[in-house]
Amino acid sequence: MRFDLSVIAETWPIFVRGLGFTILCCVLALVLGLILGTIVALARLSHRGWLQWPAAVYVEVIRDTPFLVQAFLIYFLLPRYHIRLPATTAGIIALALYGAAAFAESIRGAVLSVARGQAEAARAVGMSHLLTMRRIIRPQMMTYLIPSLTNQFIGLVKESSVLSIITVPELTMASSLVLGRTFAAVEAYSVVAALYWGLTLAISVGMGALERRMAGPLQSGRAWAPLLIEGRES
Amino acid sequence: MNLDFRYALQALPLLLQGALVTLETSLLAVVLGIAVGIALTLLGQAPIRPVRWACQLYISVMRGTPLFIQILMVYYVLPGVGLDIPRFVAGVVALSLNSGAYVTEILRGGLSMIPRGQVDAGRSVGMPRALIWRHVLLPQTIALVLPPLTVEFTSLLKASALLSVIAVIELTRTAQQIIAATFRPVELWLATGALYFVMCSALGGTARWLERRAAVHRA
Repeated sequence: MRFDLSVIAETWPIFVRGLGFTILCCVLALVLGLILGTIVALARLSHRGWLQWPAAVYVEVIRDTPFLVQAFLIYFLLPRYHIRLPATTAGIIALALYGAAAFAESIRGAVLSVARGQAEAARAVGMSHLLTMRRIIRPQMMTYLIPSLTNQFIGLVKESSVLSIITVPELTMASSLVLGRTFAAVEAYSVVAALYWGLTLAISVGMGALERRMAGPLQSGRAWAPLLIEGRES
Repeated sequence: MNLDFRYALQALPLLLQGALVTLETSLLAVVLGIAVGIALTLLGQAPIRPVRWACQLYISVMRGTPLFIQILMVYYVLPGVGLDIPRFVAGVVALSLNSGAYVTEILRGGLSMIPRGQVDAGRSVGMPRALIWRHVLLPQTIALVLPPLTVEFTSLLKASALLSVIAVIELTRTAQQIIAATFRPVELWLATGALYFVMCSALGGTARWLERRAAVHRA
């Protein structure tokens, strides 16, 4: 077996375009997923049953089925309603729906991590539910939320490689394109794996820095922690 | 939109067969993954520094890259170096190699929860290392790691759907084949998703039960 660098020299624009698509899909899915995830988390935390259980069912269904099956279902379901969308859009929707369930659990866990007495004290001085969430819970839940969201986002980035199966032209698809052109499997997959690794490491390190900045003096010394990537896909 | 589940119902025996393969594959992968995890945990404490570095690099790469790429890599690269293995084996190998990187963390977490004083106590009454492991550390660690390992099994069960891409005839691949014959994708993906859901939530329930039991034993 030999590693042919000239293959990479010839095909690098394909990888760059794939990486760009992966980043685009993941960022859009992150934004949409965070919005939907916050709504789902708030619904699960609410005391009204009709808000609580649909949110719980949503989270369980997404978490207990493979992302590949979800992606296929959305890809084939939308045309049934005469919604014709490009694969990339369907992929981003699937990824956002998947991310929302994961983010919702992170957000809910973060809210619950804040001591109960804090919310009760806010209630006692007459703050409304929303004001309590904004002024009391939100600032305190960040130390829990950021590492947890980082893991979920890394999971999302890795899961996005599955979108190549529904023909989204992202990074994993780039390896198939290069493979089809050059038959250089080792080179193609190594490059793609290295790019994904760089991407997840960058997220891990970047979010670690954000975490330290937000946590301020409370943070214990764990400078090496960002190098340990945590997010589990599926 | 009208759903017609007749084909999905007709295909149910085939889907169940596929689900059985999915269960077998992920069970095999979780067992081998635990073996990989134990090996990594032991090597990660080796007195030789490059060995520890290699372990950390392995864990970081396995967790930092998509499982899908790892599966493709094992499937396409191994034949290139002269190892001609069947797809099922390639799939299980890829899943276990990936899972091992997550199992190490579970094992580390379990071991770190046992107070160090227990080892010291064992040593002070003259217990040899092997005996301390057998009677003090292992029984407690196993109770602690069993629930997260069950969750890992659930993750692998879902992840094994990716083996459909290298044509392992598990649940997802079976569904694809039936869809190719009947062209009822929505109904069949719903049925397939339901089967995954039943398997995963049953395992999730088992994990929660094990957790409650472990908590009772500790109390």
